[in-house]
Amino acid sequence: MPKCTINGKAIEVKPGTTVIQAFKAAGVEIAHYCWHPGLSVAGVCRLCMVQIEGQAKLQIGCNTLVTEGMVVNNTSEPVKEAVKWGLDFHLINHPLDCPICDQAGECGLQDQYVHFGKYDPEMAMPKQKKHKVVDLGPTIVLDTERCILCSRCVRFTDEVSKTNELGIFNRGDRSEIGTVENKPLDNNYSLNTVDICPVGALTSKDFRFRQRVWYLKEAASVCTGCSTGCNVNVYYNEEGAWRVKPVQNEKVNGYWMCDKGRDIYKFVNKEARLQTAKVGSKDQWRLLEGGQAAKDVGDSLRQVAKTEGADKIALVVTGQYTNEEYDSLLDFFNGTLAVKNVYHWVNNPEDMTGFDGILFRGDRNPNTAGLKARLEKRGLKSDWLDLEKKIKAGAYKYVVVAGPENNSVFPDLESKAKMMSAAPHLVWLTAAKSEAVDSATTATYQIPLKTFIEKDGTYTNHVGLEQKVKRGTTIVAGALTLSEAVSLMSGEELDFSLRPKPLTNLKTNFFTAKRGEL
Amino acid sequence: MFSLSEEGVAFVKRELNRYEDRRSAVIPALYRVQKENKGWVSPESVTYLSHLMDIPSAWIEEVLTFYTMFNKRPVGKYHVQVCCNISCSMNGGREMADHLCSTLKLKEDEVSGDGRYTISRVECLGACDKAPMMQVNDDYHEGLTNDKAVEILRGLK
Ligand code: SF4
Ligand code: SF4
Ligand code: FES
Ligand code: FES
Repeated sequence: MPKCTINGKAIEVKPGTTVIQAFKAAGVEIAHYCWHPGLSVAGVCRLCMVQIEGQAKLQIGCNTLVTEGMVVNNTSEPVKEAVKWGLDFHLINHPLDCPICDQAGECGLQDQYVHFGKYDPEMAMPKQKKHKVVDLGPTIVLDTERCILCSRCVRFTDEVSKTNELGIFNRGDRSEIGTVENKPLDNNYSLNTVDICPVGALTSKDFRFRQRVWYLKEAASVCTGCSTGCNVNVYYNEEGAWRVKPVQNEKVNGYWMCDKGRDIYKFVNKEARLQTAKVGSKDQWRLLEGGQAAKDVGDSLRQVAKTEGADKIALVVTGQYTNEEYDSLLDFFNGTLAVKNVYHWVNNPEDMTGFDGILFRGDRNPNTAGLKARLEKRGLKSDWLDLEKKIKAGAYKYVVVAGPENNSVFPDLESKAKMMSAAPHLVWLTAAKSEAVDSATTATYQIPLKTFIEKDGTYTNHVGLEQKVKRGTTIVAGALTLSEAVSLMSGEELDFSLRPKPLTNLKTNFFTAKRGEL
Repeated sequence: MFSLSEEGVAFVKRELNRYEDRRSAVIPALYRVQKENKGWVSPESVTYLSHLMDIPSAWIEEVLTFYTMFNKRPVGKYHVQVCCNISCSMNGGREMADHLCSTLKLKEDEVSGDGRYTISRVECLGACDKAPMMQVNDDYHEGLTNDKAVEILRGLK
């Protein structure tokens, strides 16, 4: 194991470690654009310059291996001077349009210029004009004047998505990123190129010009878009959530996530949510507090179980809740009420086992595995056809549904809701508002629930890995977690002093449904 | 739909086998295409090559757009490349390029009405000692004057 000294700090690294990796391991800052831990080495930006004792010339840290006893620094004057000039060259043809650039605030050029800026550029030639506002595909806009040709995006489409759409065309200062014959960059991983672009050349159609990034807060979470469970940050402010970006986890998603997963911020926002409980049926709804509704439903359920038997109650569960929520749900229904008819609602049975070979899975629920394990443990294995049959036969008085929070991945929502509303009483617990349930013709309770970003809990992904999510923000203050709803149903009171305060200034986040409609 | 001749296909396959990396065969393959496609490389021939060589078309396009000796637009039967780098310019290369264009009544990089000529300016072709010079398809013509150059072009079959 080679030992080396990084800016005076002695560390030991694995053989085959590059200097830039050693800097990262030592926790020492090093400027770089083209190097990315999830991609191959390109060595083209020349920003990661280091001075190695005993070597006359400066070296690039990303393409130099650490050798035994190496003494390296990136603080000497020659290094600073080299980075300064490197940066100046990167800016020769850059339009310097930060005020209208969506990357501002999280831009590699801005960040490095603060440290290494020449502040007095010496370029007298006019700038090369290149293509701007290039519609690169359904998700991305490209500004080739801002591009520093680090080739990260090209290597991403070559090495990770393996779709090979992008390339660097032409030569010298006319070089540009693009696709062959302007074919759209259209794959389910395209937005990762926006994340790894160190500058404002690639921007997301869905997000650009909607928020300044320094006004957003971020909450670490887990993507609920499928059973892979990619680790993510959700960016939000007092108006709601605005975007989702991947967070590195070697065990789950590496550095990446898919484009479909990036949509999960949409259904947590107010416009998509059931904001208060409703009781009634088609066109005749009365509004009430979620907690009150849960209490009322609980009273009736306990009554029915006592007088007519638990067989009169059916529980339908989707794979969209946390393990803790399943536990309290099943404790009450299966434990206290002794309900045995518990049905797992599988949203798209055909491709539940589908997998695209990278990250994305056909099972569009975060916690199918957790639910299945819990049903199995209690020996609950009711068949879906049995539910349909029994509802038709009038065997159930109450059908209670822990419905989807992400309606868009339940293509069968309408038909299933219709089928279930043939029971005399329907109780629909859900975060999402839905027309399908609003047009139920039977006596229905709709109870508003919280989404993944508003609660603590655990999801079990497709390989059984348990991942915790933490509450980041509250968007619908009147909503309950499934556990809260269940304890109210069981007759317990909640400690409301612990409930989060509602967000103030909640305006409509009207962009959230409009990806790609620029 | 463009496709290479049988020998062309065999040539590309041979080139592919010569190198460890398929990408290395892109330049010879593009040359072959240019030769068999009336002097230029069309978008559809890039698609064709990408299938033939089993590599993404972006990788071919990158090479194609990098090198100026590949023509991305149709050229005349005689592609005349006039050197306008230092030695040739000092000896009247630029003026010669202008003169050829006006005599043959065409603009740079365009195909003449009769389909015979395209005139392009290029950088040093390595014949500085005989400046000014021009390359017509694969042949060098050196030590030129304006009149001599016109004469040579007129004399082509
Ligand atoms: S678009 Fe961005 S990621 Fe791609 S080469 Fe340019 S700067 Fe790098
Ligand atoms: S692969 Fe699945 S978990 Fe990962 S980002 Fe996409 S939808 Fe989310
Ligand atoms: S990070 Fe080393 S050259 Fe770009
Ligand atoms: S300058 Fe014309 S051949 Fe070299």
